[in-house]
Amino acid sequence: MNNEAAAHDGDHSHSHAPVQQEEHPTYYEIMEIAVRELLVDKKLLGPGEIRRQIEVLDSRTPALGAKVVARAWVDPAFKARLLENGRKSCEEFGISFYDDTQLIVLENTEKIHNVIVCTLCSCYPRVLLGLPPDWYKLKPYRARTVSEPRAVLAEFGTVIPDDVEVRVSDSTAMVRYLVLPRRPPGTEALTEDELAALVTRDAMIGVITVNGPDEKEAP
Amino acid sequence: MTATEQHVKRLPNDIGGLPAAPIQQVEHPLEPWEKRCHALADVLDYHKIINTEEKRRGVEALGAEMVNSLSYYERWIVAFANILFQKGILVPGELALKMEEVEARFHDSDPGAAAPRDS
Repeated sequence: MNNEAAAHDGDHSHSHAPVQQEEHPTYYEIMEIAVRELLVDKKLLGPGEIRRQIEVLDSRTPALGAKVVARAWVDPAFKARLLENGRKSCEEFGISFYDDTQLIVLENTEKIHNVIVCTLCSCYPRVLLGLPPDWYKLKPYRARTVSEPRAVLAEFGTVIPDDVEVRVSDSTAMVRYLVLPRRPPGTEALTEDELAALVTRDAMIGVITVNGPDEKEAP
Repeated sequence: MTATEQHVKRLPNDIGGLPAAPIQQVEHPLEPWEKRCHALADVLDYHKIINTEEKRRGVEALGAEMVNSLSYYERWIVAFANILFQKGILVPGELALKMEEVEARFHDSDPGAAAPRDS
């Protein structure tokens, strides 16, 4: 193993030296280039496909999920369809999936708080939120969320009252979840766009709740 | 449960419910090669060459030592290479030669002469 590779001793220690990345790619970066070029040479992948998929990846941000949430808050018929069939109603909303995954939207209520996890790896509603944050992919979140969700939520500053049930949904390769957070009080006069601006990625993972426009960030 | 029973009952990825450290809310923007690696995974899935579940099992098949010592996308690209070998799509020798060829581009005295790395 070469030195650059040895420097990667886990998820916490990515090399962030851009010059080194540009001029002396790691063993793994060279492997990525080589695998991709061989597959293109064999005509298994088209020459521009990776670049186009990077554009798709870049186009996916939590703003998409936030738009879906805001629509569900203002349009009860859309919300009903979204909870019935997440994928179909997102596609109706103009969001392309580009894969075979199904989407189940979980509604937070006065009595139920949902949080999502992928204990086996890193499955995530990428179509609506983009790529997951590192903490979602690391052992502490994956291991503990299913066994002590209230303790995990508290580490995000989210304290769920004892009379509210906490439901944890464990994602799979084929089934992804999105949390539909509760609409904060005092937002009756806001437009759909203003509502969407309140909705954060972490609220759609379920580790925090959505604050109203006048509320301070949770400590 | 004995330590060996634990290995039988839980494969390396199967960590749900185990004790673990407090959450560190870390994140980093993907490096360009990491984003290319992610795009490669999506395109391989789209073409039904390697699906998500095969990828997950491919990472698991690296074994606990590699899983614990490689970063997230390092695990992916090594798993992809192994799966492509298993499927007979690539052979190890041709990948080794291709990697030598790619490596040589970066040893050019003019870094700007490196061939385009994103196809």
